[in-house]
Amino acid sequence: MRGALKITLGIMTAIGGFVDIGDIVTASLTGARFGMTLAWAVVLATAIMVLYGEMAGRVAAVSKRAMFDVVRERLGVRFAMVNLGANALLSLLTLAAEIGGVALVLHLVTGIHYLIWVPVVGLGVWLTIWRLPFQALETVFGLLGLCLLVFAAALVLLPTDWGSLWHEAIHPSVPAGEALPTWLFYAISLIGACLVPYQVIFFSSGGREEKWSVKDMKDARLNAVVGFPLGMVLSLSIMAAMVPVLRPDSVDVRHLGQVTLPIAQALGVLGLILTFIGFFACVFAAATESALSIGYSVAQYFGWTWGKRHKPSAAPRFHVVCLSSVIAATGFMLTSVDPITVTIITVVLAAAAIPLTYLPLLVVANDREYMGRYVNKHWQNGLATIALLVMVVVSLATPPLLFATKAGQ
Amino acid sequence: MPQGIVTANDMLWDRQIYDRDGVEVGKVDDIEVTIPDDGGAPTLTALLCGPTALGPRLGGRFGAWWTAIGQRLRPGDELYPVRVTADMIVTFDRHEVRLNVTAAELPTNRLRAWTRQYIIGRIPGSR
Repeated sequence: MRGALKITLGIMTAIGGFVDIGDIVTASLTGARFGMTLAWAVVLATAIMVLYGEMAGRVAAVSKRAMFDVVRERLGVRFAMVNLGANALLSLLTLAAEIGGVALVLHLVTGIHYLIWVPVVGLGVWLTIWRLPFQALETVFGLLGLCLLVFAAALVLLPTDWGSLWHEAIHPSVPAGEALPTWLFYAISLIGACLVPYQVIFFSSGGREEKWSVKDMKDARLNAVVGFPLGMVLSLSIMAAMVPVLRPDSVDVRHLGQVTLPIAQALGVLGLILTFIGFFACVFAAATESALSIGYSVAQYFGWTWGKRHKPSAAPRFHVVCLSSVIAATGFMLTSVDPITVTIITVVLAAAAIPLTYLPLLVVANDREYMGRYVNKHWQNGLATIALLVMVVVSLATPPLLFATKAGQ
Repeated sequence: MPQGIVTANDMLWDRQIYDRDGVEVGKVDDIEVTIPDDGGAPTLTALLCGPTALGPRLGGRFGAWWTAIGQRLRPGDELYPVRVTADMIVTFDRHEVRLNVTAAELPTNRLRAWTRQYIIGRIPGSR
């Protein structure tokens, strides 16, 4: 049991970072429209996440420094400032999307308009940051998020054509009637949703919150190797569950309620309850993580005291940053922008910004001065370089695809 | 520059500063080097902290803007950055600087103290 508890950071990062509103929306949208032909994008992104997540954990454990401490020390004030600005803006947008997402889930459950829920959710997110201990945050949301395994259960009960799902997944091709740019646009959305930069910041700072040291390296590794693939299983099962139910009618998923249709059909009310709990846990955790990661990165850049392991009065500037982020994101959602639109914009921008966060990590993981004998092995660098090339290609391809496809229409 | 020579900037810029009790004081935003009156070797006399030290290093319009904000936050619009004098330094390596004073005694503590007193301290449950 202790072993199981040790990987809760990994599970939480996977639940909240990997499976968040961006992932739920893109996975279900692509499942309903393209079947499993884009499953490769999720698998590819997961492989990259495992590789870089392990590096982030190792850097946190060995150098005892979180992401932005090392970014500033190694890559200079100016580059780090640009990086900080881009990351903070993106995380703020993500936070807004997640707050909107939780409000949509609560709307589905209660029937009360989501805009009424937005400030309530904002308050809840802030209270969680303010009061809930880090360990409780990990355990509660990590475990509740596992409710999303109902999508896998639904797949078993639905008239799923396993052969064709598998065939589509391993022979990716553009489905008939769809254009290649649109298909590629959704591929990069999926990759952006899986690799949102705040995950790495959260994972490495979380390792510091848990006071990881060299002895905990195995746990850190286990967290990355188990947590992120678990997230992949969850998002692939959401994607696959859409295929037998929504794809025959080529439903265009524009509403969170549509995502729950396969569950309603296969498992009825009990399944729906589990789905809502799972959605709530994942998206709420993601909101908390993205808000925290803004506080983490700003405080680390300026050398302030940060983290939930301190009382708020001991880390006042960190808490001011988190609080202002939550207020700004809540205010943005209250302008009645569509949460699903904000989500899609966020994952696309994330896709464009990926190399900015992942490159410094690769540089630091190779620095003997910080890492001693725990620097990257040759094979890790080989794979990480290929992964970085993929990220750069994704990043460069994002703007033209965004305009050419009018955001995937 | 010949190999093997490490500059003071490389050694100190952007390192984390901790006080006597391990509390974060800030980053080394810049350093102050003084050439003695008798013309001897330049010595490190202080670490400089805060936006007025960081601004010039950021450079460009953004850096100037950053410096201006820092200046407004300093008492009496003082331009010279907050100094952590060299005699306060106990140890330093390429990762961190440790001081022999507490954060509360340092002038770098003003934003922290202000946010604690006027924002965070007023919200229930901050302690």
